[in-house]
Amino acid sequence: MGEEEQKEEEEEKKPKAEFKFPPDETGLGIISAVIAVIIVILPGTWVPAVIKAIGVIFALLWGADSVRKTSKYGLGTGVPSIGVLAMGYGIIGALLGIAFVKFAEPMGPFSSVAALGGVLLMAVVGYISGVFSNHEKIIAMKIPGLERGMMELGMAGSIAMLLQFSIVAGSLSFDKVLSTAIGTGAIALMFVLSMMAMFHPYNACLGPDEKRPRTLVTSVEISGLLCLILGIVLAATATPVWGLGGVVDGVILIAFSGIVWLVFYVKFVKECMRESDSVVGTGLIRTIE
Amino acid sequence: MDPITILLVVVGCVIVGGVFASLGVHLLPVGGAPAAMGTATGIATGTIMLMLGAAVTGLFTASTVATFSTNILLVSFSGAVGSWIMMGVTMLMANVIYVFGSGLVPVSGRVEVDPITKEPQTPYKTPQCDGHGIPTVSYISGMAGAFIGGFGGAIMYFALLNYAFPAERLVELFAWELGKAATVSATMAAIAAIGIFVANAILAAYNIGGTIEGFHDPKFKRLPKALFSCFFVSLFCGVFVCVVALLGGLI
Repeated sequence: MGEEEQKEEEEEKKPKAEFKFPPDETGLGIISAVIAVIIVILPGTWVPAVIKAIGVIFALLWGADSVRKTSKYGLGTGVPSIGVLAMGYGIIGALLGIAFVKFAEPMGPFSSVAALGGVLLMAVVGYISGVFSNHEKIIAMKIPGLERGMMELGMAGSIAMLLQFSIVAGSLSFDKVLSTAIGTGAIALMFVLSMMAMFHPYNACLGPDEKRPRTLVTSVEISGLLCLILGIVLAATATPVWGLGGVVDGVILIAFSGIVWLVFYVKFVKECMRESDSVVGTGLIRTIE
Repeated sequence: MDPITILLVVVGCVIVGGVFASLGVHLLPVGGAPAAMGTATGIATGTIMLMLGAAVTGLFTASTVATFSTNILLVSFSGAVGSWIMMGVTMLMANVIYVFGSGLVPVSGRVEVDPITKEPQTPYKTPQCDGHGIPTVSYISGMAGAFIGGFGGAIMYFALLNYAFPAERLVELFAWELGKAATVSATMAAIAAIGIFVANAILAAYNIGGTIEGFHDPKFKRLPKALFSCFFVSLFCGVFVCVVALLGGLI
């Protein structure tokens, strides 16, 4: 009887996470990457903006998990730096991706597969910069798994940027992306909010009581906000009213991402309330005399 | 110019920009979190925020000048002056807050005598602290860093704007109006320049481990390592930008 009571007490002490991200870090990376890559590969004009937004959310979730994994050891410069690095590579990778799509366009409707060329090249650059940062004779940061982390961040940044181009421009065709996503200045919003979705979760939640589900929920919440803005951009710049890539598509995206943001924000606040400890008044700190 | 020269100029300018970004980061007085409490020398924020802020201000001035000038030195130096002003104002206001708000003496924690003014530093330093505020040597070093970083960012912007993504080619390719093509070209050049710039600045920031006082800091001796890595990363980025321009038909 005594043992049972003790067990019950232990269970009470350890608050169970209300929900879990079932895959571990490797699993989540693979699953998110596969989902995002499939959505990138599909021709942009066939897929509604909402599906692409799901791809963006998964890609940024993957990035946020990688940031969490690498920043756990202490970067010395603050967590934001690695998220900014990811989107710096992401922009170059996405530009490469749309250039490859233009090159492959005459070959058939599935030319958007070529965009993955940019993603892979950015993976190479990410890996090289990871090796430079971790190598003992060069920068010597000595962070386990930094090479893989930077590689994943380069890839996640490029995929997220490509999908956002695809949402705003309707497809990955070079001139449309240039005129609607880049020429309008929407790319600056995408740059800032995507890096927020990557670095902010771990930056805000870090500490001894950091829990992975809570951190990742924050990432989904910010991605929802990002998609909301993308929806507004799409609805404001689209020329057709109906159909994919039209005004209605943008309005549906606004509704969807608004719901995502609301649901995950409520979830995040509830998680915080549940995991917080009660603070007892301690009075002034006693001075040693 | 023939295409091969253009490609070489673009790659060269991107490498110069990346290496200058790295050098600029090493010269800034970055204090990080301890500086926010006044217990370390430097500005109370991270390297990335400072260098990105300086580079973006530099890009504003450089892009304004680039609308009416095609002289590479004029555009690059205007970018350098933009970053210079931003960093000068930031350091001045930080010092005003440290001195009149917190009541600290700007003093270096790494050297006993200021290498420029020859003023003693150690007697004014609070025990167990790592310096306070921004002393003269750090201020001058920070100004030099912002100038070099801004120059690097602006030269990269100029090369991308005029050689990699020229507005005239966009007009020929897609039959846009010149105004729209110029906007697209400027936005694309600016965002690509920022992307390459931050990647290099962050590698340099990892090299100094987050905080540095300026050229008198012992960590400054690690500079060659950062320059080496930044050279290769910018080389790759420069080649990739050229691939974008070639495949997109912009060269």
